[in-house]
Order: sequence, then C-alpha cells, then structure tokens
Amino acid sequence: MAISTLWLSDFRCFADAEFRPDPEGLTVLRGPNGAGKTSILEAVGWLATQRSIRGAARDVLVRSGTDRAVVRAETSVAGRAVLVESEIPVSGPARTQVNRQPVRRRSELADALNVTVFAPNDLDLVQGGPAGRREYLDDVLVARHARLDALVTEVDRILRQRAAVLRQAGGRPDSAIAATLDVWDERLGAAGTELAVERESLAAELTEPAGRAYERLAGVAQPVTLEYRRSWTGDLVAALGSARPDDVRRQVTSVGPHRDDLDLALGPRPTRTHASQGEQRCVALALRLASHELRRGDLAEAPVLLLDDVFSELDATRAAALVELLPPGQVLLTTAVDPPPVVHAGRVVTVEGGRLTGVPDAPGVSGATEVIAAPSGGGGS
Amino acid sequence: MFTGPLQALVDELGRLPGIGPKSAQRIAFHLLKVAPEDAMRLAEAIVDVKERITLCPRCFNVAEGDLCAICSDDRRDGTMLCVVEDPRDIVAVEKTQEFRGRYHVLHGALNPLEGVGPDQLRVKELLGRLDDEAITEIILCTNPNLEGEATAMYLARLLKPLGLSVTRIASGLPVGGDLEYADELTLGRALEGRREVDA
Ligand SMILES: [Zn+2]
Repeated sequence: MAISTLWLSDFRCFADAEFRPDPEGLTVLRGPNGAGKTSILEAVGWLATQRSIRGAARDVLVRSGTDRAVVRAETSVAGRAVLVESEIPVSGPARTQVNRQPVRRRSELADALNVTVFAPNDLDLVQGGPAGRREYLDDVLVARHARLDALVTEVDRILRQRAAVLRQAGGRPDSAIAATLDVWDERLGAAGTELAVERESLAAELTEPAGRAYERLAGVAQPVTLEYRRSWTGDLVAALGSARPDDVRRQVTSVGPHRDDLDLALGPRPTRTHASQGEQRCVALALRLASHELRRGDLAEAPVLLLDDVFSELDATRAAALVELLPPGQVLLTTAVDPPPVVHAGRVVTVEGGRLTGVPDAPGVSGATEVIAAPSGGGGS
Repeated sequence: MFTGPLQALVDELGRLPGIGPKSAQRIAFHLLKVAPEDAMRLAEAIVDVKERITLCPRCFNVAEGDLCAICSDDRRDGTMLCVVEDPRDIVAVEKTQEFRGRYHVLHGALNPLEGVGPDQLRVKELLGRLDDEAITEIILCTNPNLEGEATAMYLARLLKPLGLSVTRIASGLPVGGDLEYADELTLGRALEGRREVDA
C-alpha cells in the first residue's frame, strides 16, 4: 500500500499543496521546526484514522481564515488506484469518501489507506496515563475487523448513555432510574467484557514481536511484557452492581474497559517507574514496531509508515537500528536534523513556510520544483 | 433575505428534517414556478394530514378518525402485540405479511443522551393495555441498534414477571440498522425466528 499523490487545501499552513512521495521506498521531509513537515504526516494520518497524529483538535487542522480543509490522496492498493478524500469543516462532522463513496466506519478506510505512526509523543505510551495505552490497543483492533470497530464504538456509546442516566439521577436514584441503569449495566457487561477479552488476547499477541524489536533496538535481550489489567474482577455486571451506590453518588462509571490499563514491564521491572528514559523510548518504539508487524501480517500489503521527528530523540546507534528494522514499504519521515547515514532516501522534499520544494514535475506546487536530492540507491525500489 | 412571504416559506422549509438552507431555497423557488394547482395540492395535503390524522388512542399508530385501521380490524389476533419504535415500523412489519396481531408504538427508544427515558415513551400506556386486552404474547420489534436493544431489554424485564410470553425478533437483521430500512424478506425471517427473552 502506498500513497501516489497527496493534495492539501487549507490544511494547517498549506493553502494549496501537492506532494508525491517515493512510491515504494523512503521519502524524507526536511525543514526547520514549525515549517509544516509534520502537517504532511498529519494529513495522511487523518485520512487513515480520522484523527490527528498530534492529538490536535479538528478546528486547528483548518488553515486560519478559512472554514474547511480538504485532504485527498490517491493510493495504490494491490496495483489499483484508490481515491481517499476528506473534507474537514471548522465545526460539524468531517466527510470522508473512498472512491466517492461515503465512509461510515474507520474500518472501511483500512482497505484504502493504512498507516503506522511513530511520533515523539510515543513516549507517552510508557510514561503517560492508561488512556494512551488503551488507545494503542484499540487502534489495532479497530483497523483489524469491522466487528471490533463496532464494538469499540458501542462500548463508548453505552458509557455515554450510562453517564447521562447518572447525571439525571443527580445522586438520588429512584426505582425507575435503577431499572434503566440495570439495562445499561447489562449492555456494558456484555460489550465491555468482550472488549477486555479482545484487548487481552491482542496484548498477548504483541508480547513476542515487541520483545524481538526491543532486543534489536536496544542491543540487549530483555523480555518486554504486556499485561492487560482489568479494573474489575469476576463478572462485570456484578462489579457494576457493587460499585453502583458510589457511582450514583459520584456520577461516574468506576469499573469497565474505560478504566483498564496495559502494564508494561522490561524483564521484571515496570517500565513506567523503573526504566531509564532511553529504555522507555525503546519500549515505545518496540510497541509501534510490534503493532506494525501484526498489521503487516493481517493485510495483503504493508501499512504506510509515518516517522515523525524520531531522530532528534534517538542516539546514532538506536536511530540506525530503527532504520534497519523498518520493513520494506513506503515510509514518510520528517526530520529537522541531518538523517543518519544509514537512511537511503528515494526522495527528499524540503518544507518551509507552507511550501514544498523538491517535488518533481508538480505544476500545482507553489515555489521552485527543483529536486534537492536524487535517489541514492536502496530505499526499497 | 427574500421578500416577505417567500422568506417565510424558505424559513419554514428550512425547519424540516434533512433540509438545509440551500435545499429550502431551491424548493421555495420551485414552488414559486409550478402551476398554482400543484402548489395548492401540496398545501391541502399538509392541512389534511394535520386536521384528519391523529394518533390512535390505543396503540399510538397514525389514525384517521378514532381508532387506527389495525386496532379497528376484528380479524386481527388480539392476543399478540408487536411493540415498535415508530409508526413507520408498522408499515415495514405489515409488508412481511408474517404478523396478524396488533401493535403498540413507543414513539422512540431509550436514549438518556437525548433525554428519553421510560416516561418519554408510551410505556405506561402499554402496561394499561395489558389490563384491558387479552394479550398473551408480546414481540419486541425495536430497532437492532444499541438504543433499540436496550429498550427491548428494559421492556422484557418489565413484562416477563407479568407472566406473558415475551419474544424478541431474531438477530439476522443488520446490526446498528433501522427496522424501517430492513428488506421484507430479512424482517420476515427475523419475525419468524423470534425467541423468548431471558430477563
Ligand atoms: Zn391503533
């Protein structure tokens, strides 16, 4: 799977830009910080996941002074050209289409465009709160099967419905409220347990590839363990029942898959509290590489890899190890510094002030169209 | 802004579901152009529906006159009751020709996020009918989405202890869908394959 052409209109700082990455290998996006190179990856990430890879709110994706951004990509899937388009208004829902057909679920996008993202904030996977780790698991689940996509959406909706009932109860539930809560607890019990089971088996599946990736990145063999920890024991409906008096008073749902965590350990040590920053960074990258490997196994074609500013965070040895670990396929990489010598770019594009230079034969691009770096061999082509 | 009556029409059309400002203008200008008798026929149809169509006081289906056509039909099986969310769902079930009982329209489904609880649905009226009529089987035909399923579960828990047979239309309907849009064959099979609900 690869992007042939990406078009941006009023997206971030780009009024109108066209970008053609190397179809098979590595494209390096160079430029100073704040020049807009991450925005290119963000646009690709948006098309694949309907979310900002930087966790940005939707309205900041729209260029200031305009009311909507449009991102379009022509991708090549098994030799077939696919058009993915998304219109992002400042307010109101975004509209996304694949080959002019509206997309209703994220999983429908998986066949048209699939990405794995490595970003500086990946360290949050290890250092941050449990929400990021649940999202890491759910992203893989959602992209894997339409059924799991629907399950994740359903759990979220049940939780919001339950929260609305708790708000209406205002701390004092009558028997009618209790009867309604019973129904939502029953739904959450079924869907929530199913989601926890899926996350548990995914965590187990990721353990082996994560350990392998860690060993090659860090140069030392240490098992990485991923252990899913539920926020309840036994039956979820029963746990919700026991927690109800408290939940009603505090107007929260205190047990369920939205309160679970993924415990990460390096050997016997929990990584969040007992690993160095360098080790944590390697664990985070290993998690990304592991999920990428799983996705590669699921799909006929490898997802597009998006590497945002990874070299600024890694020493030369680890940076080289990461580049060597990258499986074949299309890679888009941003960097403010010189990439390590092991990087063999098929194409280098300079990004500055919302302008792209170095894109060959692109009449729509403002500014010069000079190729700054010619292919230097390798790069998978 | 358009001149008085035209703007009023655009505004009114724009308040209809699924009609944005652009469509409202397009329809208004279309009505401006059509023959007067065509426009009057539309106006009369709207007046007629408001004057002559009411909700059936028994099942809350749309009705012309007092009881709806189904409630006043003696050939229907008065022991079976099919509970639906919306009068349009009755049309969908009727098309399957699989059901000969009567209906009860809830006018919605449980949806706390939108402020819809049991009191906003015709649940009390449903319980009242159990006293007045010889109903022995209730088929829960709410939509196969989260809110419809929750409503079915809520009703099953309410009705089961009363000693009725409570069934739910079988799965096989597209999950997350709308009964209204299910094709006759699928909905017919779902009715046939209904099963007793555990509550
Ligand atoms: Zn009636």
